[in-house]
Amino acid sequence: MDATTEGIEQGRSKGHAHPEQRRRPSGEPPALPHELGRSGKFFLLMVLYFILVITGFLLFPTLREVFERWDHTRQLWITDLRSPGLTRLMLVVNGLAASWTIRVLRWTVFLGLIVFRRWRHLFVFLGAIIFTEIVAYNSSSIIARPRPLGVQILAGWQGYSMPSRPMAGLTVSAVGATYALIMAGRSRSIAKWVIGFALVVLGFARVYLGVDHSTDVVAGAVFGIAVGVASFRWFAPNDLFPVSYRRGKAAHLDIGGRRGEAIVAAIRDQLGLAVLDVKPVGLEGSGGSTPLRIKIEATDDEPERYVFAKLYAKSHVRADRWYKLGRTILYGALEDEKPFQSVRRFVEYEDYTLRLLHDLGIPVPRPYGIVEITPEREYMIVMEFFEGAVEIGDAEIDDGVIDQGLGMVRRMWDEGLAHRDIKPANLMVRDGELKVIDVFFVQVRPSPWRQAVDLANMMLVLALRSDAERVYAHALGYFSEDEIAEAFAAARGVASPTQLRNNLKQDGRDLLAEFRRMAPEREQVSIQRWSVRRVLLTIGVLFAAFLAMGLIVSNWNAFA
Amino acid sequence: MAVIVLSALASCSAQAGDASEADCPIEDGELFVLMAQSVPSATLLPCIAALPAGWTYGGSDVNDDLARFWLDSDRGGIHAVEVSLAPACRIAGAVDVTNSTSEGGVRAYLDEFDLHPFSANKYFVFPGGCVTYRYRFGPNAEPTLALEADEAVTFGLRTVLVRQVQEELGLTLCGAGAPPCVGGD
Repeated sequence: MDATTEGIEQGRSKGHAHPEQRRRPSGEPPALPHELGRSGKFFLLMVLYFILVITGFLLFPTLREVFERWDHTRQLWITDLRSPGLTRLMLVVNGLAASWTIRVLRWTVFLGLIVFRRWRHLFVFLGAIIFTEIVAYNSSSIIARPRPLGVQILAGWQGYSMPSRPMAGLTVSAVGATYALIMAGRSRSIAKWVIGFALVVLGFARVYLGVDHSTDVVAGAVFGIAVGVASFRWFAPNDLFPVSYRRGKAAHLDIGGRRGEAIVAAIRDQLGLAVLDVKPVGLEGSGGSTPLRIKIEATDDEPERYVFAKLYAKSHVRADRWYKLGRTILYGALEDEKPFQSVRRFVEYEDYTLRLLHDLGIPVPRPYGIVEITPEREYMIVMEFFEGAVEIGDAEIDDGVIDQGLGMVRRMWDEGLAHRDIKPANLMVRDGELKVIDVFFVQVRPSPWRQAVDLANMMLVLALRSDAERVYAHALGYFSEDEIAEAFAAARGVASPTQLRNNLKQDGRDLLAEFRRMAPEREQVSIQRWSVRRVLLTIGVLFAAFLAMGLIVSNWNAFA
Repeated sequence: MAVIVLSALASCSAQAGDASEADCPIEDGELFVLMAQSVPSATLLPCIAALPAGWTYGGSDVNDDLARFWLDSDRGGIHAVEVSLAPACRIAGAVDVTNSTSEGGVRAYLDEFDLHPFSANKYFVFPGGCVTYRYRFGPNAEPTLALEADEAVTFGLRTVLVRQVQEELGLTLCGAGAPPCVGGD
């Protein structure tokens, strides 16, 4: 039997081991198909329609004449309804599009976001408004469409009519307010309906008053919605930056409804495990994924048990990209981090590191594999759940645990690996055995600096629950004095994870200084590394920030 | 970002250079339709006949009760002359300088005259409207620059525009010289 045949045979026998495991045949939809809803399709059609209309306007003057007449006919349908009473009412409704109304709305949102210190949402909101104002103003100048002809204009206006700038300005502000201040779910849904209703009434009023064509108001509203929704979905997705008025990180990816059902079906079909219950777990310590604890039905071989899973979506990949960009600018090319290009690569990498460490005998969770929820959009990595284990910060530390921790780092050094995220939350203790979790940051053949930092961080974590002298004495059994000196010369500031730095502050003892006192003197290892890429990236980001400031200042009248 | 840059470039190209949206004849520019809508009673509309060397078109701003555009000068400075169209002007106390203008059917007035630096308001009053030239030159600019600006700007007949809109679109440019519009008094 050659290697290939052997693999197939193993696959078959695996299939027998999991009777419920099932390959998805060609043509069958995935567990959670990615579908544009009816509203999404309608909206996309509208955007396409306006792109075609505007292009036609600019390129073919004859089309413009036809379109003007067509729009005029629609306008007459509405202006024919004019009566003194209705005109008064429509003038009041038109107040919604007044510059002061829009300013008050925008400043209210700004203040709300400042009070709740939701800075990301604030910048996204600001960016969406600036983008809308600039593009709406400039496109109206390029299209240069006059106000409606053939009807008396009954309200104030400014500049060309298409797209309707007040409609675009109000829409992006209202949509932005909804995404920035209102929690996802029913209340946000209600808010969207209210905004939709208000926009329809306002659009009718503006056409009635002869201040905009019907196409202008629809174009303005569609553009405002497009910018508002796209900005928040792209730069502040609810999965990663949920709007919440409770403390701590909430929500992540919603695991109820269709996604919840898809998770259960996907685990059954792809791993052959019957799911009894899915619960989010440890959300506070997790920003890069949605961690889940999943209860699995007993089988002939194993009792009822829990597995741990991490759900990854495209938004996590984007967040990782921004995180790495920030680190490259702040600290240089020291870690040689390259962003992932897709969520598939993202989850494949964690699966690889988990299997690598597991194969090497490092006590990481047993890997169960990757589960596809939506192709190229959402994947889940499933692994063993350390039931009964407690975080090292809450566990009793004896000499055995200290040795296991130091031995683990030694093993990784010998195998050319670095964990890169050694902190209390990632070290668990069960029955006197130390376990390590979250291996996403593991790097093969890392820089020596990174390995040194791993050692320092491990010694600091162990000393938090014991003392520096004891840990140092044990460390000498695994590392030379020079290696320990290198570790503490490298471990400065941001080299240690935030949680570890906070725990060290709360502890009160200056453990870092104590270790440095015991180790031979060594010149500190510089964190900052410069490269052409870092310089160019920094200049690029500074230029973008400068441009953004310039845009804010030059469009200040949109706010003040 | 590309959209911003492209639209910014587009707006720049529309606001500066030799050709501008405010160039005569008035039937060639969308800006004049908007100006005519801004002041429906005005029988004349200001436009740029020819910009002398050193002058550039600065930009425009049109709303429901005022239409204006402005010119920049390499000697007079940014926004050296602003030309605005309104239904009426306050000319109390202004000096009648009608004899100094060649525009027919228009009465001209001058006030707020100052030489150092040169500043003045010149009003052109005609049936249904008033055009103001607002000169505000930089400290070292010669007052004679005002003559260049005077020559650069002239007037077009609104009725020409009304006719053109009717012929091209079959629609009425409401206001002076046009039949009554829907929803009008």
